[in-house]
Parts: sequence; C-alpha cells; structure tokens
Amino acid sequence: MGSKMTAKKTMDEYLPKNAVIEEILQETADSKTLTLRPIDKGSTILKYRPGQFMMVSLPGYGEAPFTFASLASRDGRFQISVRKVGSFTNALHALKERDIVGLRGPYGNTFPLSKIENKNILFIAGGCGIAPLRPLIQHVFKNRKEHGRIEIIYGCRAPRDIFYKNEIESWRNNPDTAVHLTVDEPDQSWDGTCGVVCVLLPKIKLVPKNAFVFLCGPGIMIKLAIQDILKLGFKEGNIYASLERHMKCGVGKCGHCYVKGKYVCTDGPNFSYSEMKKMGIDS
Amino acid sequence: MNKLFITHEDLKTFVEALKKTCDEFIGPSRQHLNDIAFGDVKNDGEILLNYDGNTILSPRTFLLPQTETLFEIKGSIGGKVSSIEDKKSRIFYGVRPCDTLALSLMRRFFLEGIVDRPYQDKMENATFITLACAKPCSERSFCREIGSGPVAKKGFDIQLVAINRGYLVESGSKKGGAILRKYKKLFIVSTPSDIKESKRILKDFAKEAKPINYKRLAGIMRDDLVKESVWDDIGLRCVICSGCITVCPTCSCFSVTDRMNGTSGVRVRYCDGCPYAGFTRMAGGAMPKPDHKDHIRRFFEHKLNVDVERYGVPSCVGCGRCIETCPGNISIRKFIDDAMASVKK
Repeated sequence: MGSKMTAKKTMDEYLPKNAVIEEILQETADSKTLTLRPIDKGSTILKYRPGQFMMVSLPGYGEAPFTFASLASRDGRFQISVRKVGSFTNALHALKERDIVGLRGPYGNTFPLSKIENKNILFIAGGCGIAPLRPLIQHVFKNRKEHGRIEIIYGCRAPRDIFYKNEIESWRNNPDTAVHLTVDEPDQSWDGTCGVVCVLLPKIKLVPKNAFVFLCGPGIMIKLAIQDILKLGFKEGNIYASLERHMKCGVGKCGHCYVKGKYVCTDGPNFSYSEMKKMGIDS
Repeated sequence: MNKLFITHEDLKTFVEALKKTCDEFIGPSRQHLNDIAFGDVKNDGEILLNYDGNTILSPRTFLLPQTETLFEIKGSIGGKVSSIEDKKSRIFYGVRPCDTLALSLMRRFFLEGIVDRPYQDKMENATFITLACAKPCSERSFCREIGSGPVAKKGFDIQLVAINRGYLVESGSKKGGAILRKYKKLFIVSTPSDIKESKRILKDFAKEAKPINYKRLAGIMRDDLVKESVWDDIGLRCVICSGCITVCPTCSCFSVTDRMNGTSGVRVRYCDGCPYAGFTRMAGGAMPKPDHKDHIRRFFEHKLNVDVERYGVPSCVGCGRCIETCPGNISIRKFIDDAMASVKK
C-alpha cells in the first residue's frame, strides 16, 4: 500500500446505474408506465424532486431523457411513462417485468416548491405532458393544507388516450380542487368537454393574482395556453412550462438542447414564461 | 516579465528530451499536399519546430476526437458497463495562440459544473507549448481583431516567441515552470535587444487590424437586431457540409450511440453540430426551429453572443478555419461586419 493519497477520482457521469422494472402498465394504446427500482449501489437517482428528469439507457439502443412521472414510494420505487415514438422507446416497450434498464440522474431543475406554498395552482397538461406534472400534483395533494385552490386542466386526443385514469378521478376527492378534462375526438362514452385545453379556461374558479401555473404538453398547446392565461391576469414569472428538447447527455455538454445560452437539461427543463421570453421561445 | 531565451539548436535538444517524458508528443509536421497538421511526432513524422501559417485542425481533435468510446458494455439487458480511461500523457507542441485560447475555453466548458470525465482524463495529463505567431497565417484569420493573437495571454504551460537568433521562452503555469527548471541548462536569460526585437515583430503583426467591439456585437445579437436579410443570405449559402463545425477549435457538441457486436460493445460519442437538421429534432419528429438559417444562426450566436456573456470573450477565436473551408463562402468575419453595420430598427 502506498503512503501517498491518490487523487480523488472523478465520478464518471456518463456511466448508467441499473434499475429493475418491477411493474409494467399499459397506459394507452401506445404508452406504458413502468415502475422502476434502482438496484445498483451508489445510485443517486432517488434524490430527485418533482420536475427533474433522468437518462434511461439500454445497451445497444443508447439513451434518452425521461421525466420522473411519480413521487418516489417509501420503498424506493418510482414510475416513468413511455410513449412509443422511435427505436429507443420501441425497445423499452419490448421489455418485460424483471428486466433491467440503466439510469443516470437526477438531472435538471425542480419546480419551485417553496414558492407555491399557500398559493393557488393551475395545472395545464396535454397528452403525455401530464407525466412531468404528476409528481408535482402528487406533491401538492400530499401536502394539501399547504396549498391554495388547485385546478387541473387536462386535454387528450381521445378518451382512450387519457393517462392515469383512476388516479385522476381520485384527485377530484381533494378539498378545494377541480379537475377538468377535454378531448379533441370524443367517442360515444364521452359526455365531457370537447376541444383544446384553452376551451376549459373560462371554467376555472381560481383567483389568478399570485397564482402559479404549470404547463406541459405539445409545443402548440403551451404557446396557445400561455397566450390565453396571460389574458386572465396570471403573472409571467408565475407561469412555468416543462420543456422538451432533443438531448444526448443530460449534463449540459452535448449541446443539443441549448437555447440562447440556456441548456434545457441543466438550466431547465422547467422555465418560467419570463425566462422563456428572454430565450426567444414560446414553447 | 523576465523571459528566458533558447537557441534553435537547444530547442531541438529540449524537444527530443521532452519526447522521452510522454506517451505522445503532438506536434506539427508536413503532411499530404503540404498541409501542416498535428500528429504524434514521437512515433511518426518529422516535427516542425517553427512554421508559418496554422495547422489545418486544432488540437481539439486529440481532446474531443471525432469518435470516442465512453465505456464498454458487456451483455445486453442488465449488462455490465465499465469506463474506458485515457491516461496517456501528451505534450502538445507548436499550438497557436488562437488555439491556446480555444483550449482554455473548452477546458472551462467541459470541467465546470458537471465534470466531463473523458475530457478531464486527457487534460490532466496534457502539457501545452504555445508558439506565438510572427505574421498572420492567412488573410482569413482575424486573431488580432478578436483579441486571441498573435501572442497567447494565458492557457499555455510554456510559450515560445520566435526571434531572429532563437526563441524567447515564458512559462504560464506551475507545470510549465517546473519543466523549464528541469531543463534550465538549455535556457539563458534573454537580452534587452531580444525583448525589443520580439516587441517589434508583434507590433508589425497585422498593423491595420482594429479590435472588434465584441461586447457591442454580443448586445446586437442578444437584442435580435441583426437584419433578417443577413441570416437569409447565410441560410441560402450553407450546404450543410459541416466543415465549419469540424474545423472549429471551440465546437464541443456531440451525439451518443451504441456500437454493439452481439451482446457486447461500446457506447461512443461522436462530434455533431447545429448545421444538421437532425441536431434538434425530437423523438416524434418535432423541431423547435425548422428553418435552416436558424441552425447557422445558433452557431454564430453561441460563439459571438452567448459565450461573451458566459466567459467575457467570444468563443470564436478568429482562426479563420471555418471561412477557409466553407464551400458557400460564408464568413463569420464578414458576418461580424454585416451585423454591426446592418442593425435593424
């Protein structure tokens, strides 16, 4: 044994740590929700807070960013939701329970949890855009007394595309809470609202002054919804969107997600509308 | 500063001695079609101790190679992954001041915040010997105007300035100082006339050059005041050959992919960049900025606006390589003039 201290070894941020898929739920026709449990020693993944994301790795298929879609359970499990859109997500969909995936993270910023205490909160989600907001929604319901009125607007293409159906119904049971759903293409079973999320905005009974808004969904939804909620009197600095960009590293190096000096992976993915304006983007 | 002096003959001895202390000695040599390019002259090729012009590529190619293995994968699902470390010691000789500045910007980029382990590995074991420029390397370079040359201000371990009877030598780091002390027999103290001569050479370098007010330029770009016609012209000229991002000493973007052979393989990263449409295309096909001119705009804004705000200096170091290589005659130097002159209301 040498007497000299060896230089402190830098952690290799690019090395994924394993997690096991404990449960797979078919969410919609093209989406699954996976329940994961980290199994590697030294995994930092469970330190995440609502709003953050991780890189999911599959040998032979590479990596892609996924948002945490739930709070972590006490026994150290959490969920991600995966829509089948390309070769990587196809490979993820082909996995079975007990299969292993690699994870890196958590990465990115968190939603402003302390700022929203005692405030009214409006959530606006479109399609699988409900997934990044779900940990925050679970957080505010878990700490229900510490938040004001809560309203959730959720729009999907069709009733069969609605994520987390049972859980959404259970959200309605919280006090001083309203959940509004809308679909573009109703089927016979649907007796709710039709149209884009903006058509639900007149229904909200929450005082916009000092309230917070959290949005996630397709770019066009974010853009149009922000235009409309600004007219209702919500403040630019209190409107947060969880943005999606192409990413390869998650740690601010690969350059793909860079927008005018900000890295969506390290400075975001959650930006206030005032920040978005400085970056010259609206979604 | 009290500079040292070394004769051309002793510099040869110095370089030969240094070659024995490292795994790779990266220096300039004449290559195919008379190009000057960096290569491992310890093991192949004949080093140019002094040369006119600049190397076709910067030392970036050794620190962020075109493709680089991040780690090994053994077994497909649930397989083991293990880092591949590059602990080779390298001495870079004859690095130009523009590339020296580029290296210090790249070092900050990769080592600040979350550390990029593969880059750090290589930088920890690298020594940089800069060779100041006696005359402009090409009519396309503009180091004097952007403030990166003809002498490096920092970022080197040792810097050489060629004068008539040999070279002035200065150290720029503890590592450089230690090397100079180790070989102190080869160096003598420079004379006042040596210093005077070097000052004259550097003064004569690009006499007409006027410094670019890059802070004003950054402001113009930040406030989106560059005329749309300037961007339109650039968009039309670009043929997406990616030459600019390949030769740029400060381009750092990459993509990641797995190369498998059965159930074992490697995860590699490879240089990628903003001119490509696929660079920002997301799963599902959505693209935040579909217009091609906006892809090149991203390149220019990063170098000339964002990095001025982040590092205080532009990350375009004025080497002129992208101008030299562009088949559509896009010139970042011309863009700077156009942007400063054509501010829209």
